Amino acid sequence: MSQLLQVEIISNANPAPNVYVLELDAPTLAQEARPGQFLHLHCASGQDPLLRRPISIHGVNRQTGRVLVMFQLAGRGTALLAERRDGLLEVMGPLGHGFTLVRAGQTGPTAGSGKGKIIVLGGGIGAAPLFFLLQELAAANGHEAPPVRVLLGARSAAQLLTVEPAATLGYQVQIATDDGSAGLHGPVTWLLAEELKQPAEFVYACGPASMLKAVCQLLAEAGVPGEVALEERMACGIGACLSCVCATRQAGGEEHYRRVCVDGPVFNAAEVVWR
Amino acid sequence: MSTVVNTTVNLGGILMRNPVTTASGTFGFGFEYQPYLDLRRLGAITVKGTTPLPRRGNPPPRIAETPAGMLNAIGLQNSGVDRVKEEILPRLAALGVPVIVNIAGDTVADYALVARKLDGAPGVAGLEINISCPNVKKGGLQFGSDPQGAAEVTRAVKSVTGLPVMVKLSPNVTDLVAMAEAVAAAGADALSMINTLLGMAIDVERRRPLLGNVTGGLSGPAVRPVAVRAVWQVYKAVRLPILGMGGIGNARDALEFILAGATAVAVGTANFVNPRVTVEIIAGIEDYMRQNGFQDINELIGLAHRSGE
Repeated sequence: MSQLLQVEIISNANPAPNVYVLELDAPTLAQEARPGQFLHLHCASGQDPLLRRPISIHGVNRQTGRVLVMFQLAGRGTALLAERRDGLLEVMGPLGHGFTLVRAGQTGPTAGSGKGKIIVLGGGIGAAPLFFLLQELAAANGHEAPPVRVLLGARSAAQLLTVEPAATLGYQVQIATDDGSAGLHGPVTWLLAEELKQPAEFVYACGPASMLKAVCQLLAEAGVPGEVALEERMACGIGACLSCVCATRQAGGEEHYRRVCVDGPVFNAAEVVWR
Repeated sequence: MSTVVNTTVNLGGILMRNPVTTASGTFGFGFEYQPYLDLRRLGAITVKGTTPLPRRGNPPPRIAETPAGMLNAIGLQNSGVDRVKEEILPRLAALGVPVIVNIAGDTVADYALVARKLDGAPGVAGLEINISCPNVKKGGLQFGSDPQGAAEVTRAVKSVTGLPVMVKLSPNVTDLVAMAEAVAAAGADALSMINTLLGMAIDVERRRPLLGNVTGGLSGPAVRPVAVRAVWQVYKAVRLPILGMGGIGNARDALEFILAGATAVAVGTANFVNPRVTVEIIAGIEDYMRQNGFQDINELIGLAHRSGE
């Protein structure tokens, strides 16, 4: 269950221009958090900027009780967070509905069907929560794992921050950059289109809206199930204020607005309505 | 040893064990906040605006942060009065906290329909007529900016319910006192004020409005002086209890409203910043009373008027 906690900042790394990784000492969060969930961080000491900032969980270490959050400078709130080096940070979490872990050799809705690979696709800073997902997929499936393809894209090589962590978990990573400075010169969705020519079991995606829209279209065409993690401006973070909605439609149903904070941030790729 | 202080107030027939409730739309139906606080400690829970039929609400983005505040344009997304009555109110009633239901609609008949359906619903202690939502095309401000329209809605609701009826007023009017007088004459039991101030913000990089609805309602600390002034003016002119709100973030803010004439206060946007803020405000008001020798919260209501004139 989500809690309001004061957690200690252990370190603040700056692995790329305008990108920060806070390491937090938060054993209960490390235990309870699931990939795709987020923390709602209090940034300002006064009343301006007013609202918390929702930031996805980048990774956890359940042994040491440490939690990582990665974020990009976007405005006044993240600028204040970027300045923090130590001391206590007030967080709410873990919040939201995370990714569904596909498990090999099990039955039920999350069972691996054995039909093919799992694809994990991330774009830019949006790849941040995928490291945690890869940690959990490795832990859940071990040696029995269905093959996992990791596809990561960014504007240029310097922004490919999840490549190395994914590689340390033993995953092979395919890369695409907008400027051609690493890997394929083009959008990461081209790599996905290529992968979908062979059978795939499930696709996880996180990144900018334009990328996710293209991912959802490719999945619909290929008939492959998947999940996408969305972002929207958020106030309460706990489902009360109805600020952070996205349009969704369940099979055969009417389109309606659902809350990114509690119904998401991870949604069934087939249900998101893009404009 | 701390002295026992009386914090019980009577908000036009809604009996509250302390003067703190939640502002409609900021607290969902209360359960969302249960992981963070004991809901039974609240003076009352004011729930999300409820209409005759389910509403989709406005397209996103629905909020924008502004200096010491925020704009919202949710557009009264809700699941309709029938579901609220059947699925949510019985669960809330089990808490034993007075529940105030904010009601809205497109027409006078809509308001009356929702009010009639909620009459006698479990746990409901009062109704708050929302004639001040700036984010819907019909209803809302259409009644909230016209004394005759506001009085008509108030009369229609009063005629179909035995519950205390509070009217939520908009600051987006030329003469707030005239609005308050009109709904008082129409039989309102209490007033709540203020709803959000109509505003907007523009994304300079993309050169377009930040909100999907273009305009929205401003709330948060930025609006507090406007709200305190509104309570002060209406308290002087109208003999009805007032539920004061607008940018309350701590006990001192709440006391400002009470001293200006509010019988009770509602906490809104601050819930998004600190989900425990309501119970902290209740404790802070009690501390203030002890430190300043007040045994009864009612002594403080409107007290600033005695030295402010």
